[in-house]
Amino acid sequence: MKSLLVKTFERFRSAISNTALIFQRELLLLLSDLGVTILLLIVPVVYPFLYSLIYYPEVVRDLPVAVVDLSQSADSRAFIRKLNATPDLDIRYECISMEDAVEKFRKRENRGIILIPETYSSDLALGRQAVVSLYADMEFFLYYKAMVMGAGLVSIEEGNDIQVKRLMNSGLSERQAVVFSNPFVISGNAIANPAGGFASYGIPAALMLIIQQTLVLAIGIMAGTARERHKLGTLIPCDLRRMGTLRMVLGKSAAYFLIYAVMCIYMLGAIPAWFGYPDKAGFSQMVSLMVPYLLSAIFFGLSLSVFFKNRETPMILYLFLSFPLLFLSGIIWPLSNMSPVWQAVRSIFPSSHAMLGYIKMNSLGAGISETNHEIAMLWRLTAFYFVMACLVYKTQITKVKKLVLNAGHKHNPTIPAL
Amino acid sequence: MNTYIKAIAGVSGREINRMTSRPLYFLAVVLLPLLSLLFFVSLMKEGVPVKLPIAVVDYDHTALSAKFRRTMDATPGSSVVMTPATEHEALSELRKGNIYGYVVLPHNLQADIMNGSQPVVRFYYQNGLLIAGGLIQNDLTVTLHTLSAGVNKQKREAMGQDEVTVYAAIQPVKPDAHLLFNPETNYPVYVTSIMLPIMLQIFILMITVYSIGIEIKERTSREWLRISGKSVTVALTGKLLPYTAIFFILTMFSNLLLFRVLMIPLNTGIIYLVLLSLLYVLSYQAIAVFFVGLLPMMRHSLNLAAFYGILALTLCGFSFPIEHMPEVFRLWAEAFPVRHYMHIFQSQILAGFDFAYAAPSYLKFLLFLLLPFAIIFRLKSALIYQNFIEKIQITDAA
Repeated sequence: MKSLLVKTFERFRSAISNTALIFQRELLLLLSDLGVTILLLIVPVVYPFLYSLIYYPEVVRDLPVAVVDLSQSADSRAFIRKLNATPDLDIRYECISMEDAVEKFRKRENRGIILIPETYSSDLALGRQAVVSLYADMEFFLYYKAMVMGAGLVSIEEGNDIQVKRLMNSGLSERQAVVFSNPFVISGNAIANPAGGFASYGIPAALMLIIQQTLVLAIGIMAGTARERHKLGTLIPCDLRRMGTLRMVLGKSAAYFLIYAVMCIYMLGAIPAWFGYPDKAGFSQMVSLMVPYLLSAIFFGLSLSVFFKNRETPMILYLFLSFPLLFLSGIIWPLSNMSPVWQAVRSIFPSSHAMLGYIKMNSLGAGISETNHEIAMLWRLTAFYFVMACLVYKTQITKVKKLVLNAGHKHNPTIPAL
Repeated sequence: MNTYIKAIAGVSGREINRMTSRPLYFLAVVLLPLLSLLFFVSLMKEGVPVKLPIAVVDYDHTALSAKFRRTMDATPGSSVVMTPATEHEALSELRKGNIYGYVVLPHNLQADIMNGSQPVVRFYYQNGLLIAGGLIQNDLTVTLHTLSAGVNKQKREAMGQDEVTVYAAIQPVKPDAHLLFNPETNYPVYVTSIMLPIMLQIFILMITVYSIGIEIKERTSREWLRISGKSVTVALTGKLLPYTAIFFILTMFSNLLLFRVLMIPLNTGIIYLVLLSLLYVLSYQAIAVFFVGLLPMMRHSLNLAAFYGILALTLCGFSFPIEHMPEVFRLWAEAFPVRHYMHIFQSQILAGFDFAYAAPSYLKFLLFLLLPFAIIFRLKSALIYQNFIEKIQITDAA
């Protein structure tokens, strides 16, 4: 009985110390490899910075447009002044004809055309509806939005003013005229990102994606390098002290987890603070999302690492996924309009849930209970990829043991084969 | 001349042999690019997202508020999926991600409208997701204005005004939005037309760097040069030719998807499409060769290519317009063929403008093709002296 206890204790002690050994060695290897260090420590530091600088203007203001004023009346000039006053638009050219404006568009001197018809003033005088044509450039969603929203709202306002004026002329008081033309007031409110800033929208999501992508690439590169470095071309070194599935998986994971826990403080704490991105999520919310995210991403990386036979393979076979993952996250393309097939594909990647969960917590101020779908999915993926990673390492260890024993048998006939 | 062609054919043959020797090539040159193309075409083929889920919080419970709710449900942009009892619940649903926006119809809405005390109808949209938020904002603004005009119209008709007069009176100035040059194209289709070349460029870059870098890493570069008659030009041409052919076919396949499956209008001669696709593939190959020449150690050139390839999405300027970025990034963006590709695609192929307007972009493509000449001697010496080989320490010890 006592010997059993001692034995168990001994095994436990060696397991702990070997896990610690693997952890320590992985950390040392990571930091002594320039390529991996760049991926783990430089990329997550530089990319958020770079993207923040690129998207620094945040919103599209003063879109250069051309106005073709065929009416040339006091009414049309008043309308143009109002257009110019909106922050969205900048009336850069007043062209005499549509051909002139289109020619300027071809040369990319303007990004939209507003056509005021010849009959604009007379239509208004005679109580007919004046139609103002907006020609928008489809090249950028933001340009299109600036043009249609900017000029559209000016037309509505201008029309409203005219209507109120007319009603007052027919004998109503100002208040009565306003109520008559607007039976109720419409008030639109943005929840999160009120300015519609592009950086505030895109960068927090990109940060989340960068975490998973750099982790998987780094783990893959380490695995590929390990195969190149080990004598028998195996993922596991021929070192009996490290022949344990659990200690292998846990020891390695601990190293990555430690590094990323530190990086998260920078990426999720410092970057939003410096650049003024949304940071509504509290510490406990952040931890409840990030712990399963990091774990699932690490185990996902360890499971995939079996496919990477060489150091450069992950870059070639995995990097491209960043773009599809961005579109699958639900940040760009609404989930309500995603086909069930892509929804299913989406759900196997930790990044999808983490990106959406992070946006919810950070921009909308969602609590843990409102994000529980994402958090639960991340824990499920953690469990799934943990089992996968263990299976991968188990088979690798069995393979190495067999190789070592066979090799030993060949060269040293005194060792009996199993 | 003939000997050159023979040498090039010899090198190409050797490369095809190499390509079939490892599954990596098949994955990175054929399977993954194809899957990526199909992914983007299938994800957004439905066009502008329709029927986005919203909620209506109805505190009024009258015939009018019910009519408002039905109208909002009937618009193409949104669909009323729930009617929470309170705003608080609606906000929570929005945070959970079940809805993208909600409208609050206040107490006494109908009565207040009737007696002219101008109630306020508020709506909220999730602007943390810019596209869904923007669509909801647009849709609800238009719908509520229509509803407001409807009340106005009823009053006027009660006063005996005829329909034409009523419309002119309610909306004296009517904005009429058109899209310049490609009215048939909707935004998601447009995004697809940029994402397909962006996916292809990353594969072209990575595999080109790899196919050259691996010769240095595995010390086969001298043999490669020997077969090429000691000419780097022959060596590179022969090696890259099979990839040029495959990626050209893939680019034309992506064009087929765009113009035949997504039905984007093609407003120029097919010859320009062929020319553009060819230049696109060649210029990315040239850039990749430049990277290997610059950093002959493959791990570094692959990192550089990855950095550059990923940045293309941002700096081609389709997510956020280049003209509105800080000056330095405007210049940097010039260094991305996909940016020039996008310009030619929009101005010549989609809008059908004359070649002259796109000519500067074609010229810039030609500049990319000159890049390999800048590093050709450095690359040659790296191939001969193999002095950029990473030292791999064989170790199994802890």
